[in-house]
Amino acid sequence: MLEISELHKVYVSPGRRVEAIGSVTLSVGAGELVCVVGPSGCGKTTLLRCVAGLLPASGGEVRVNGVPVTGPPPRMAVVFQEYGRSLFPWMTVRQNVELPLKEKRVPAARRRELVAGSLESVGLSDAAGAHPWQLSGGMQQRVAIARAVAYEPEVLLMDEPFAAVDAQTRADLEDLILRLWRDSRITTLFVTHDIDEAVYLGQRVVVLSSSPTTVMEDLKIDLPAGRDQLTTRSLPRFGELRGHVYRQIQRARGHGADR
Amino acid sequence: MTASGPLKVLRALAMPALLVLAWWAVSGSTFYLPSPAAVARAFAETWLSERLVDDVLPSAGRLLAGYALAGLLGVGLGVPIGLSRRLRATLEPVLEFFRAVPPPVLVPLIMLLAGIDTPMKVLVIVSGCVWPVLLNTVEGVRALDGVLADTCRMYGVRGVARLRRFVLPGAAPQIMAGLRQALSIGIILMVISEMFASSSGLGFTIVLFQRQFQIAEMWSGILLLGLLGLVLSLLFRRVERWVLAWYYGSGAARA
Amino acid sequence: MTRRDGWLSRLGYGAAGLGGLLLLIEAVPRLGLVDGRFLPPASEILATLATQLGTPELWVALGETLRGWAIGLALAFGAAVVLGVVIGIVPGLRALTNSTVEFLRPIPSVALVPLATLLFGPSLGSTLMLVVYAAFWQVLIQVLYGVAAVDPVAFDTARSYGLSAWSRVRHLVWPSALPYVMTGLRLAAAVAFILAVTAELVIGSPGLGAEIQVAQSSGAVSSVYALIVVAGLVGIAVNAAVRLLERRVLAWHPAVRSEVAA
Repeated sequence: MLEISELHKVYVSPGRRVEAIGSVTLSVGAGELVCVVGPSGCGKTTLLRCVAGLLPASGGEVRVNGVPVTGPPPRMAVVFQEYGRSLFPWMTVRQNVELPLKEKRVPAARRRELVAGSLESVGLSDAAGAHPWQLSGGMQQRVAIARAVAYEPEVLLMDEPFAAVDAQTRADLEDLILRLWRDSRITTLFVTHDIDEAVYLGQRVVVLSSSPTTVMEDLKIDLPAGRDQLTTRSLPRFGELRGHVYRQIQRARGHGADR
Repeated sequence: MTASGPLKVLRALAMPALLVLAWWAVSGSTFYLPSPAAVARAFAETWLSERLVDDVLPSAGRLLAGYALAGLLGVGLGVPIGLSRRLRATLEPVLEFFRAVPPPVLVPLIMLLAGIDTPMKVLVIVSGCVWPVLLNTVEGVRALDGVLADTCRMYGVRGVARLRRFVLPGAAPQIMAGLRQALSIGIILMVISEMFASSSGLGFTIVLFQRQFQIAEMWSGILLLGLLGLVLSLLFRRVERWVLAWYYGSGAARA
Repeated sequence: MTRRDGWLSRLGYGAAGLGGLLLLIEAVPRLGLVDGRFLPPASEILATLATQLGTPELWVALGETLRGWAIGLALAFGAAVVLGVVIGIVPGLRALTNSTVEFLRPIPSVALVPLATLLFGPSLGSTLMLVVYAAFWQVLIQVLYGVAAVDPVAFDTARSYGLSAWSRVRHLVWPSALPYVMTGLRLAAAVAFILAVTAELVIGSPGLGAEIQVAQSSGAVSSVYALIVVAGLVGIAVNAAVRLLERRVLAWHPAVRSEVAA
């Protein structure tokens, strides 16, 4: 479904050349949820922007359904980290969710159905008429998620979506993502710097090195499918996987330091 | 600050009442300052007559026409300039220059080009009002949020929809700031263009009174201009609150 | 992008823009699109400008304009700062004066043209009257904002340590309000320049505006254009000078520091 092969990105400006991504190859199968973790400043966001077609790659290729990505692909949605800035403050919650559907020329009746359904699924039916700035941070990120879900994407990209919310809200939102993914099986690439979050959510966890980024490990998460904040996180296996990823990231950081 | 109704009214009226009293007290001593009663009488006789239709309304009409044209032109040119980095870099010094030219000096120039009739006066107002709108629009469009721009790209919001749903509302706080500056410049230019070479209009009439030493009438004209300025600025504030309701609501606006 | 390269290429684009404007003004009258009597070619305007710059009249006029601007601005600034601080810190005075300020502020200062003509005729006095009135409100409003923005906790602290009213103003109110005061000064400087030229243009007080008026009525079209260019350049210089002053005065202030860094 989503294939990234030997992706390479260099930022060039007069007199300066920064190699952000060395070479990244990874693929996400249809209906899979893959988490990408890496040490801070390892080019996670650059990678995601290349995959989303927001940033041209310097080399290599990204394909969605076999079609090379040159600009934002038509059936891809992104949930950005900056929830406060990714919603249009002059529109209501409903209008925010509806706008992309209008642009896709979805008929009005179907549009209403999709908007109502997605707001319901994130638990915000009552807030449809509110403006984003009247909501809490966690609720704003729910709106962004509802917008992505209503768009009916083939691929959903999430760029550290919960980095800026408090721990309690974060756990709720993680369960929300798991539930939505289980119901819809949208192919999802989830970028995070939080190891716990990656292991808890992912079917696979891809560990990145520090910049210039390469894939250090592609790890299958063999935890039971029905995950739960309490029981899953207290499984011995969860601890092992977490420890493993943690050591990998420490190694990656060491690389970065003596570079 | 949380005074009750009557106290508020009293507070609002106390100072003006005191000032009018002071005016009354000194008014007898000089030829140049008639008493408030005389000015009020002159006001009623002068402006609540056919002058309202012959002089005041045409002036206000020209002001609004020129202001609206300047607004359309400023936003229409400002959006493409703001969106293109190259265009911006190319035009910046030119625009800075035009902004720095004091608008009234354009009056004699535009009289040369467009005569002394209504088109000249409207053109004068346009030529002065367009710069603050244009420059603020450029600034507002340039500073649009990058995450929102990415959101538009991802969800296929482009073309007219992008302009209507993203660019214009996003730049609206800056555009309104430009329009506010343009309004006071517009009033100044309306008056000056009529003082210069004209046989009707508010500015002309007030200068005529002054030349004929009709002092009370002249003061009533000054008062009328003041009221016009006040009414327009109150109206503008209304419109601004309405257009930017989301902006004030979100607390993005500072005092 | 390194800063210097960006700056250089921007300079290139800007020069191209200015060059384009000059070419346009050269071409339009030469091609007969606009009558050369109303819009002389750029080369002619620049030649007139060069001649004018060699005559003492222009410099005298410029001096007159700047004198009216500076004196008027200083008077307005002083009065507005003193009044603003008093209104801002004396309890209840703000509420009492609010309606009056809101009424007087939007009155366009050109409304005072006939009065100034009567009282002072075509002289510096007329210029000062218009300049002071226009600039005063710009500063006053900002001073009022600034005083209102003083941290109330800091104010209470100062009072509990028994600072006198004067040292409270000096050490607390003034430094906190300074950024607002400088904003007011910047806005007032621009408005004051506009009104100085306006007074000269309309009432005939000596200065650049009066020169433009004379040139226009005597049909010296390229002089009108040359003088407008001078007025624009002075306007740019006025803005730049005030911005420089603002940076100097507020170098310690976080808002300016981040602006410089950005």
